[in-house]
Amino acid sequence: MAIVAYDPAQVSAQGDRLPVGTQEADLMGVADELARETCRRIKARCHFSYVPFAKILPGIESGRFDLGFGNVLRTPNREKRVAFSDPIWRSSSRLVGAPATALAFAERLGKPVRIDTLRDARVAATAGSRQQDYLVGVAEERRLTVLAAATPAETIDMLRDNRADFALLPIRAGYSQISREDPARFEFVGPAVADHGLGDSTHIVLHKQDQRLRLAVNRAIAEIRADGTFQRIMQRHFPISLD
Amino acid sequence: MASDTRLRRLSASKAFGILAAIFVLIFSAVVALLAFDHYQVRATAERLQEETVPEIIRYQRLARNLDQLNHEGERVFSSASPEERQQAVFLIMLVASHPSILEHPGAAAIAHDAENFLGETNRLSRSDPATLKARQPEWLRLSRRIHLLVDDISVQGANLATVDLDHMVDTMRTAGLKLLGALLLVGSFVLLLFMLLRNYLIRPLQRIDHALSSLDVEAAAPEFPDTRLGEILAVEDATVRLHKAMVSNEAARRELELLANRDGLTGLLNRRHFMLNAATEIARAQRYGRPVAVALGDLDYFKRLNDTYGHGAGDVVLRTFAKMLSTSARHSDLVCRYGGEEFAFLFPESTVEQAHVLVERFRQNLAETDIRLADGLLVRITLSIGLADASHGLLETALQHADHALYEAKRLGRNRVIVAAAAE
Repeated sequence: MAIVAYDPAQVSAQGDRLPVGTQEADLMGVADELARETCRRIKARCHFSYVPFAKILPGIESGRFDLGFGNVLRTPNREKRVAFSDPIWRSSSRLVGAPATALAFAERLGKPVRIDTLRDARVAATAGSRQQDYLVGVAEERRLTVLAAATPAETIDMLRDNRADFALLPIRAGYSQISREDPARFEFVGPAVADHGLGDSTHIVLHKQDQRLRLAVNRAIAEIRADGTFQRIMQRHFPISLD
Repeated sequence: MASDTRLRRLSASKAFGILAAIFVLIFSAVVALLAFDHYQVRATAERLQEETVPEIIRYQRLARNLDQLNHEGERVFSSASPEERQQAVFLIMLVASHPSILEHPGAAAIAHDAENFLGETNRLSRSDPATLKARQPEWLRLSRRIHLLVDDISVQGANLATVDLDHMVDTMRTAGLKLLGALLLVGSFVLLLFMLLRNYLIRPLQRIDHALSSLDVEAAAPEFPDTRLGEILAVEDATVRLHKAMVSNEAARRELELLANRDGLTGLLNRRHFMLNAATEIARAQRYGRPVAVALGDLDYFKRLNDTYGHGAGDVVLRTFAKMLSTSARHSDLVCRYGGEEFAFLFPESTVEQAHVLVERFRQNLAETDIRLADGLLVRITLSIGLADASHGLLETALQHADHALYEAKRLGRNRVIVAAAAE
């Protein structure tokens, strides 16, 4: 089949270490399994690279990678750079922080902490992510200090080390990080948001010119969803299946 | 007036062209209506496939996510350990943060309430486990609201398809009626076309065919009922003109025949025609063994009459004698001006004796008739006749015998009938 022409495909996944079976890489585990299943469906032999999120889009643009998996939200700016597959799942963003910090900021602000009202805080986000873009966009107005981390785990490290007050993460990444910490150590702060480009569907990214690969990947996604494979992958990494 | 009538006629091509145009117009309108229905059904089907079904799936997923929220809420109250409760609260936060919940105002509000209530319950239960029991009734009320919302969303999702399907069914039903209408229209048009063809084309053609088949100079000119189609009217007019031409030709033919067969002065048969008819009659009589006689007559001293009174007087005498013959001869007898003042006779079905009576009557009538000339002078003239049997032998032979008898009549003093001796 023509799809063999993509062999060997270069697939990137967020993170800098092999995720499968490791304690701190649930989300990468999902992406890794989806990537492998996609390769099987498009009948391609793939070589996997695990890189920070910020390197996925440049890697696709330069042709270093054929496919990029990493909870990538679709935005107009990104559409100018890369092509997007059909949706994989839907995501929103939410602040993560220590309960005491959230209480302190609420007292200082005189109201519960929310993303759209947060001021005078140090906020960490994954480098190259939409969350970072959003924070940079409002940083000056709200006097926010935006801290870039290579991975979601690193944002939690920043919270733990008191280098950041809050982390703004995709909800699943946030859940993965919080659930590995001690109970009540960190929690979601304020409501989730899906507007301002901080939520909606996430996609596999690929080179803009590669229409044949995009169609093949879309067919693979439809098959994975239709035969229940997607749900099984999700259930292996999350206790509930949201869609 | 006639031209006005003709102007009101329709040509067949124009009439059927107008009819076809009307039909095409109406049928096109019906087809356009059907095409519109087809477009509507297709558009609805595409909307169902591309918008409604994904929307239904979105509703189903939202309902499932809310169910998940309810389930995790139950787990907060049923879990034995704080760790499990914390896990459930995390999952509730995860569900409440899902875009499908956030974009539905009702779901977002109830998820927010549930997240706050269950998060607070979890926090309070860490210091006072009895809080769980105290807050359970409140949770049950909240849970019931979530259940009701799940039901509402499920029904709303299902109703989306119902709306599209109802619209498709209505459109298809309308299209069915339109199809039936189109069928009736085509049927009516075919029936109308058949009736028009029969009334305005087939029947007039049949009448024309009948008229042409029975066209006869002896019959009256054909008559046609009023017709609407110009072409049919033209053929009918041509048929009537043809009949007139036939009648006229027949009159001319008869005139010519008269001129060819009759003597111009007396109106009697001329010699050529007499000879043809006499030969035929004699052949017939001899074939059937019937008697027939011939005679030759010659006006006595006719030359002297001409010399004395002029040729005009001779013509008057000839015409008078001819007129007398035509009234006294039998219908079946042939009488001709044989030449000059000489006349020939053929008497079918007559023996010499019977013919003798006839010619004797001719002779006697003429001899007793005063003939008034143009100048009023009265003259008399006599006739000599030679009679012969023609029942056997040739016409020429019989005439020769009659001629000899005529010669004998002249020799014996004229004004008499001499019968030729029977042939030996």
